Amino acid sequence: MQGQDREQELVKIRAKLKELLVSNLNMEGVTPDQIKDDDALFGEGLGLDSLDAVEIVVILQRNFSVEVKDMEKGREIFRSINTLATYVYETQQAKK
Amino acid sequence: MNIAGMGVVFTRGRGAAALEQALEQGWVAPGTVAVPAGSAPAYVVAPETLADKTVLAKARRADRFTRMAVLAAADALQDSGLAGRLDTSRLGTIVATALGPHTTTFGFLDGILEFGDAGVSPTAFSHSVHNAAASYIAMTLDVRGPTLTVTHFHFAFHQALLLADAWLAEGRCDHVLVGTVDEVGAVMAYASGRLCRTPADGRIKPLAFATAPEAVPGEGSVFFLVSRGEGAGYGRVAGAQLTAVPEPAPEGAVHLLDADGLSHDESGYRAVAREGLPVASYAPLCGSLMTISAFHAAVAALMLRRGRRYAVPVPDGAGDLQVCHESGPAEIRHVFCTRLDCAGNRVTLHLAR
Amino acid sequence: MPACITGIGVVSAAGFNRADTLDSFAEGRRHFGKVTRFESPLDVPVFEVHGPLPAAPAGSESRTLQLALHAVSEALSEAGLGAGLTGRRVGVCFGTTVASQLNDMDFYTAYRQTGTASLVPVERFLKGNLAEAVARAIGAQGPRITVVNACSSSADAVGVALAWLRCGLCDCVVAGGADELNRIPLCGFHSLSVMSREPCAPFDRDRQGLNLGEGAGVLVLETEDAARRRGAVPALDVLGYGAACDAHHLTAPRPDGTGLEQAIRLSLAQAGLEPAAIDFVNAHGTATRDNDRTEGSVLARVFGPSVRVLSTKGYTGHTLGAAGALEAAFTALGLRAGWVPASAGFVNQDPEIPLEALRTHTVVRGRYALSTSLAFGGNNAALVLGRRV
Repeated sequence: MQGQDREQELVKIRAKLKELLVSNLNMEGVTPDQIKDDDALFGEGLGLDSLDAVEIVVILQRNFSVEVKDMEKGREIFRSINTLATYVYETQQAKK
Repeated sequence: MNIAGMGVVFTRGRGAAALEQALEQGWVAPGTVAVPAGSAPAYVVAPETLADKTVLAKARRADRFTRMAVLAAADALQDSGLAGRLDTSRLGTIVATALGPHTTTFGFLDGILEFGDAGVSPTAFSHSVHNAAASYIAMTLDVRGPTLTVTHFHFAFHQALLLADAWLAEGRCDHVLVGTVDEVGAVMAYASGRLCRTPADGRIKPLAFATAPEAVPGEGSVFFLVSRGEGAGYGRVAGAQLTAVPEPAPEGAVHLLDADGLSHDESGYRAVAREGLPVASYAPLCGSLMTISAFHAAVAALMLRRGRRYAVPVPDGAGDLQVCHESGPAEIRHVFCTRLDCAGNRVTLHLAR
Repeated sequence: MPACITGIGVVSAAGFNRADTLDSFAEGRRHFGKVTRFESPLDVPVFEVHGPLPAAPAGSESRTLQLALHAVSEALSEAGLGAGLTGRRVGVCFGTTVASQLNDMDFYTAYRQTGTASLVPVERFLKGNLAEAVARAIGAQGPRITVVNACSSSADAVGVALAWLRCGLCDCVVAGGADELNRIPLCGFHSLSVMSREPCAPFDRDRQGLNLGEGAGVLVLETEDAARRRGAVPALDVLGYGAACDAHHLTAPRPDGTGLEQAIRLSLAQAGLEPAAIDFVNAHGTATRDNDRTEGSVLARVFGPSVRVLSTKGYTGHTLGAAGALEAAFTALGLRAGWVPASAGFVNQDPEIPLEALRTHTVVRGRYALSTSLAFGGNNAALVLGRRV
């Protein structure tokens, strides 16, 4: 039951993240549904860069009240929509 | 210093052809900008003008200020016919602006007020610095030479030209992209509406030489590709820092006056207009703009290239002055453009065939 | 043709003037602390200037202008031009970041809340173009322009001065940069995740980022002829300026550092010097991961891994628009004094950076040194300075 809740919540977070990324990072010519959960966000993947990375920190903070203090650890968190969503979910759960 | 290429982005469109068309057509009423009291007249650049996914491919995050500058600079390079042929490590860029990307700056302040000091957008911050536009120009055109952004409220363009010439003279660059960019934003439009009078009909009257002139904010970007060598398709900059038109004035000369209503008193231009040369001002085509001198330089360059004079768009108040009322072929060899600041300082730019 | 340095003025957290600064350098003192100039919830060390600054002229009040005028006064006085500039062709070129923006929070808050606000801050801003305001204050009549090239602004301002002098546009240029510590860039650099919670440690393995500072640096530059005509005996010169753009990214340096390398090589070429002639490099060294890695690699590539490198940002913080001119001034002071300080904050070499910064106060016997600047927007600038005897 708990696993189902978790998965449902993650689905919602992923969808919201995709929308936020497309609009806040001015990802021209990309729609939220074109981003796959495991697509690499940076480099060869969706082509995001270091400035997008710090912008994502602000997106997480403003929309999910989740902080990323250490940008070095951020590298793994920011790999894909999946890793981002998991980080958001787990950080929110830990606060509860 | 030769002008090999030119790029223009302004309320009537993009490119030398759009400028030429506006000069032939004459004045049209301005658009509007949203201000707290509703809206105010302004000569704004339409979103369609800035929709170029090819040139702006590397500028997905760029704001309007930067987009105007990138398009004008890219067009100047393209227009010169030298794109792909010149050594970009010896190509310099000088961007002159009076107010910088202030819409983005105020957007960043919105972030502080809404989300606190620790919740602001790094993208907004990095785009709020004055040299963001120059950075995008460099990225878009792969400019590897010196890249400089300079600011001054009255003579930014003249100083930029002077420096471009110095860079060419000392051999630092073979070519320089030199130009201006300024935008209309809600906050400065509001300030302009309070500090200057606004004409009910939206018409700036540059030849009225009023002691309390009327202004309508304008925006845009003008770039020139200059060099000491090839390509003088638009003539040459014969002087960027004159204090007067030489006596006697050369044959085939026209005098453009940078009056646009932003100064608190434009009566000083009347004496300049009495110096004997035919005068004109095209401020009503681009709006009141602290970097209007670059816009007039573009008009001057076009006059020299086409051998044409252009009817002044708003002749009100010209009286018995020798003013051009009709467009048509003309033997134009020299164009002087004069700018006065609020303290009465004068700088005259001289373009020649 | 070099430009003689006939006057130097500095103000930063490292010192209120030249002598004060050299004392801090000699003793390795670092004057950082919490933000006191305005309310800030950000818990980061900053390098503020404390002390009585001259008043800015009525109508164009700004702390940045006060800092600038303080350093201008010290520089003109050393040059022997304190009494006035009448009759001379004097240009003014200044770099800044803060003074170029209308970032008055009180004005903007009122405007947002009520749709109306007092325009006094706007009018003050419109009278406050830094180069114009400095020119007005000292009565300079030559060319004047404010350079807004982010963190390389005032290194570029010195480069502009060099071009003006070489082209005969003026006899003398008051060139420099100034920036006050301000809430807006403090928030901005924080948002970029490049600020350290500790005092900055340029080139160190464990560096965490930069600290912001404030200050002004000014050089009075003259042509040889102009200096000699009035009986000045110049001992220092700006010999070369190089600038090159990365054309890579708005906020990140080109990883291979080719833009910086090009700027350095151009400055050496203009000075007519080989890399081996350079005794030490006063690096940009902001202490961010990216900057120091790129810059350190380029310096090792051009000058060899044993090049003597320091960053003075451990004493001043990053003073943004003032940094280039302040550091050029420190470089000149180092050449003249015959020593440079330890690179404050450097302890352990970073395996990613093929050089070590200076660990101790170091004697300088050479005649030439380099000062580098890297900026937002991909600007790179390098200045070569020289001592005559």
